Amino acid sequence: MKTPKLAYVVEDDRITAVITEFIVKKDLRYRAVQTFGNGQLAFNQLQEVVRTGGSIPDLILLDLNMPQMDGWEFLDAFGTLPLAQEEVRVFILTSSIQPTDIEKSTHYKEVKGYFSKPLGKVNVQRMKSLLWEASD
Amino acid sequence: MSTLLKQHPELAASITYNPVVVDFLQNSLTDGLLYWNLLLPTESWVNAAFWQTLGYSPDQVPADPAAWRACIDPTDLATAWQRAEVCAQDPSQDFDLVLQGTYREGSPAWLRCRGVVLRGDGGSASWLVGALFDVTKEKHKEAYAQEVATHYSSILSNQSVYILKTDPQGNYTYVNDFFYERFGWEHDLIGTSSLLSIVEEDRPKCLEVVMQCFQAPEVPHQVILRKPYRDGSIKSNHWEFKGILGEGGELKEILCVGYDVTLLLENLQRAQHLLDVTSQQNLRLQNFAYIISHNIRSHSANLTSLVQLLSEAKGKEQKTMFLQMLTTSTEQLADTIVNLNDIVTINNNVSKPKALRTLKTEIDKTLEALSVLIRQHHITVEVAVPPALTVTVVPAYLDSILLNLISNAVKYRALDRPAFIRLHAQATPGGVGLTVQDNGLGIDVVRYRLKLFGMYKTFHDNEDARGVGLFITKNQVEAMQGTIAVDSEVGVGSTFTIQFHENP
Repeated sequence: MKTPKLAYVVEDDRITAVITEFIVKKDLRYRAVQTFGNGQLAFNQLQEVVRTGGSIPDLILLDLNMPQMDGWEFLDAFGTLPLAQEEVRVFILTSSIQPTDIEKSTHYKEVKGYFSKPLGKVNVQRMKSLLWEASD
Repeated sequence: MSTLLKQHPELAASITYNPVVVDFLQNSLTDGLLYWNLLLPTESWVNAAFWQTLGYSPDQVPADPAAWRACIDPTDLATAWQRAEVCAQDPSQDFDLVLQGTYREGSPAWLRCRGVVLRGDGGSASWLVGALFDVTKEKHKEAYAQEVATHYSSILSNQSVYILKTDPQGNYTYVNDFFYERFGWEHDLIGTSSLLSIVEEDRPKCLEVVMQCFQAPEVPHQVILRKPYRDGSIKSNHWEFKGILGEGGELKEILCVGYDVTLLLENLQRAQHLLDVTSQQNLRLQNFAYIISHNIRSHSANLTSLVQLLSEAKGKEQKTMFLQMLTTSTEQLADTIVNLNDIVTINNNVSKPKALRTLKTEIDKTLEALSVLIRQHHITVEVAVPPALTVTVVPAYLDSILLNLISNAVKYRALDRPAFIRLHAQATPGGVGLTVQDNGLGIDVVRYRLKLFGMYKTFHDNEDARGVGLFITKNQVEAMQGTIAVDSEVGVGSTFTIQFHENP
């Protein structure tokens, strides 16, 4: 498994963002985690690093319900970025239980996993195996 | 030769021409013969065929020559005698009448009697010879036909069914009483155009069905048409049109049978409306169920994670941090539950009592409540609402709607230019229209169209935006059967338009 470098946590709920950041660092062993309050802020940052050749995240944990730019809009915008898609894995991490959301997420090839909050031991284990498989 | 003819050779002479013919005439062709002395009414005679017709066997024939009179209704007998006398006086008169008699077994018999007056040499009438024909079967048929006709005519006139016919041009040729009663006013409809009695919008529909009658005659074509009833109300009638062909195969007439379906249609519309309302409610409830589960779940997820993290926390600093977050999370959960409760209350009170409110008064009250903020931010407020304009609303909802829209206009005011809020209202055909216009930050309506009134959607980086205001406003407006729409442009401002629906 490749050494995890940078993860984005795109999440409007501050507490959830802090918890997620904490777990991603502790359990997924990411050394750097950046949090964004909505999709727009994360997208702006991505655009910026693509343009300046900065550090591209290898994991994005994406919430769906967010102000300004929600998870779906972020995915649409993300698809337009000139990125080698395999580099960046997107996991949806949401409290949504709408069946349509899970179905919809399968239409985005960037989305490698759909996780329902909370980010407990089972979810962390699944993320680990997905990350491991993906980079195998 | 009969006794009678023996006694009266002149009579015998006058009718005896050919014995075979006489026998045929007397016994085979007729159901009986009657001889009646016009000079002596008590002297009369019938032949054996008469008695056989009435059901007597040859050995049962009464001995008395005048016994036949007892078998005939006395009134008919008197009528016959009077008629015979008339015929005796006037040779141009015919003797042809029906006598009611009695069969041997007691049931009524009808005998048609056609007679001829025999005259002596001096031209004086002497005898009436009557040929009798049993018409009982025909009488029964006639009576049955009459009964059937009465039966159907009673059905036709007592049922709520319209029956009419028109010629191929659509002019009435027959109209039943019931149709007259309901739509005939005081006019004679025959010969007038049937199209004229139908409401104008339905006339093309009627013509189309008439065309179908031409294209496919002899089969029913159905249509529902509206007609003004004589009391002015509009009645919907279900019709069956059928083109009837003449002998040459051309369309001769159109038979139309119809009945009133006004009540049925009204009930159908009511049911449809109920279904619409229910489907809409159902959709809202489903949406609401997802919102509830989502909002509760996001907090519960945080609480679960925090408890886990707290139990694994290393050091006092981490413990304090997680505990602090736990406290915040529980507070947020409590807030969410309060918000959800507000919304449940709206959704559960679809039939909350409405009351009449003067819109201007309510607006002034809301502006008064927000006056400190309005003054503090130097916002110009213009109110163009007729002082007498009233709305039928759930009062608490109107308060909440006004507060939400006006406080949003204050909250999202433009910072780089003098801010204004304009309230305008007027009576509209369906009720009252209210617009709340500002020149504030505006919303990208193209981008946020679907989310604008959604729950927990915020559109500006505003710290105290909860994302429930417009969601609640929309729910409240819709709970009162109203509508809310928004027109907005980023950097220009927003205009919210509410239509209050006034129930008739």
